[in-house]
Amino acid sequence: MDKITLQWIKMGRIFLEHIGGSKLFSCASCDTILTNRSELISTRFTGATGRAFLFNKVVNLNYSEVQDRVMLTGRHMVRDVSCKNCDTKLGWIYEFATEDNQRYKEGRVILERALVSESDGIDEHMGDD
Amino acid sequence: MHQQANGCPQHNGATNEDYETPSSSQQNGNAAEHKSPVPAMGKTDQDIVRLIGQHLKTIGLNRTAELLMKESGCRLDHPAAAKFRQHVIDGEWSKAENDLNELKQLLDNSNQSLSEMKFLILEQKYLEFLEDGRALDALHVLRNELTPLQHNIERVHVLSSYIMISGREELMNRARWHGKGVASRTKLMEKLQKFLPPSIMLPPRRLYTLLSQAVELQKDKCPFHNTTVEEGIDDFNLLIDHYCPKEQFPCETIQVLNDHCDEVWFCKFSPDGLKLATGSKDSSIMIWDVDPETLTCRHRKTLDGHTYGAAYLSWSPDGAHLLVCGPEDCPELFIWNIDADDQRVKISHSPEDSLTSCAWHCNGKKFVTGGMRGQFYQCDLEGTVLDSWEGVRVQGLWCRSDGKTVLASDTHHRIRAYNFDELSDSNVLQADYSIMTFSVNKADRLALLNVATQGVHLWDLEDKCLVRRFQGVTQGHFTIHSCFGGKNEDFIASGSEDNKIYIWHIKREKPIAVLQGHTRTVNAVAWNPVYQQMLASVSDDGTVRIWGPAEKYRKPGTVVAHNGECSSTTNNNEWSAMNS
Repeated sequence: MDKITLQWIKMGRIFLEHIGGSKLFSCASCDTILTNRSELISTRFTGATGRAFLFNKVVNLNYSEVQDRVMLTGRHMVRDVSCKNCDTKLGWIYEFATEDNQRYKEGRVILERALVSESDGIDEHMGDD
Repeated sequence: MHQQANGCPQHNGATNEDYETPSSSQQNGNAAEHKSPVPAMGKTDQDIVRLIGQHLKTIGLNRTAELLMKESGCRLDHPAAAKFRQHVIDGEWSKAENDLNELKQLLDNSNQSLSEMKFLILEQKYLEFLEDGRALDALHVLRNELTPLQHNIERVHVLSSYIMISGREELMNRARWHGKGVASRTKLMEKLQKFLPPSIMLPPRRLYTLLSQAVELQKDKCPFHNTTVEEGIDDFNLLIDHYCPKEQFPCETIQVLNDHCDEVWFCKFSPDGLKLATGSKDSSIMIWDVDPETLTCRHRKTLDGHTYGAAYLSWSPDGAHLLVCGPEDCPELFIWNIDADDQRVKISHSPEDSLTSCAWHCNGKKFVTGGMRGQFYQCDLEGTVLDSWEGVRVQGLWCRSDGKTVLASDTHHRIRAYNFDELSDSNVLQADYSIMTFSVNKADRLALLNVATQGVHLWDLEDKCLVRRFQGVTQGHFTIHSCFGGKNEDFIASGSEDNKIYIWHIKREKPIAVLQGHTRTVNAVAWNPVYQQMLASVSDDGTVRIWGPAEKYRKPGTVVAHNGECSSTTNNNEWSAMNS
């Protein structure tokens, strides 16, 4: 992790987004909202702590440098992701898959089941126009 | 201005004696055939000579003007036009009408113009008769001269209704007319002049008009123009191009306030510009007195009792109350009465709430507050929740000047307008990325948005379009605030994650100034709304910096305060201006 990222963790009023939705996934250690049920692509992944989920889009993350990692499904370029608010490690994001049949994972995010919690969202007023 | 704009009763080329060869067929300004000592002049030179000549006459240097015309062989106005003007000014209506026949061949669209000009002259003639109480003569004009023209029948009807008016005052009121004399005839001449090509007669005060336009353009081009709102040409030196020295601009650190003991997140000047409020992660709010002479701040008091940090502040329109919100996990809001010690109201509707933003209605009796977890309340000064809007994840709030509409930015990158009385809402704008913070200018027309990872964007709230993207700033990780400032609110300032403050002119994308001095992210900047030479910035480095003009441009005879809690530094910061 580089110096600037370290500085960010300690300093400043971090800007957090909210992805909305009715079933929410948040960081288990600080409750920061990360994504929702409609972004969920698959529950059949495995991470360092066991069961892991693949999501289409996740917000409020910090990203590590790109790493070259060999997984069960082949070689991948990934970045580890952590919570933007408390910097707890949560999973990783696929930047590049060498196997063609794994390319669908590029740009998608793995969150480990044990590191996130689920909660209900609100009924959002979107407006008619 | 030393003269009314339209009131220039100059006797411009009054008589034919002004001209050596008063032949009416001769083209205006054609100098070649005169026994002129000057070689033939180009078109531009002739125009300039005419402009100078006209100006000389305006200021009463008639002999010089005549000599100039003689020597150059130019003329101010076509002799026929000059005669026409004289007759109009003297109220010799039938002679003026005759002059029109002479001018006819010189007009562009002669028939249409001619009847319009005749109409205007007869209208004046009619009104002057009425003013003199000569109703029969007026009636004669109406019946035998105006009506047969078959021009602007509607106006003829209006004019005929004036016949019944008895008093002079009432006539002037109803006809919106200045009354008989030079003033109204000059005005008439201005109207008539619109039909005369400039080669025949110069528009009044032409040189002055041109110079005023030049001054406007120079003002517009001056990147640091931060002086009086409405200046005329008389406030400018015409001999050199206008340029405000950049040292007059808030560009130097006047003061560094070290009193907060953690990151400082927000700052805002009171509406009268005499107080500054700063909010910190250390949960304290400090109120500072502004000295308008030295542009410095002195600690007035510290407001304690918050537990979540003071992340956003809003002064009531009368400056008596201060609203304080916290970061995302803060379920409470405080209303402080600034003048009465320790008087505060705490609003905490539910421990699950998040109240991160707030805004006063312009009457100062109600305010709105909200947060990302879906709270959106309208409250009174006692902190009672009057209304609640369900299902909006609020990020920023602003109350519009109509006293009803509330603007709220939400987690869908939108700003929407909400009316709590009518329970109506509508879209105002949709950004491509998260709107971290926003503010609206005094005219209630332009909104300034800090858009995550994109920078500072200016939107027009009426036309609902993006006006400008300002360049240079770094942001996206932290919540950064920007502001409008300067006379006319022509400037924009923003904090940045690269520890600098960026200042732009509202019309230019590139910054006109980048202020350095802070050692961590600059979270917010505030421009003093009254003392526009003063700017405040707050940073994660725990300091508040006060910025002002270079020392020689501050008011003379004042000393920067040195006491235990403030230190004045000017050596530790650089200031750079970029050419635009």
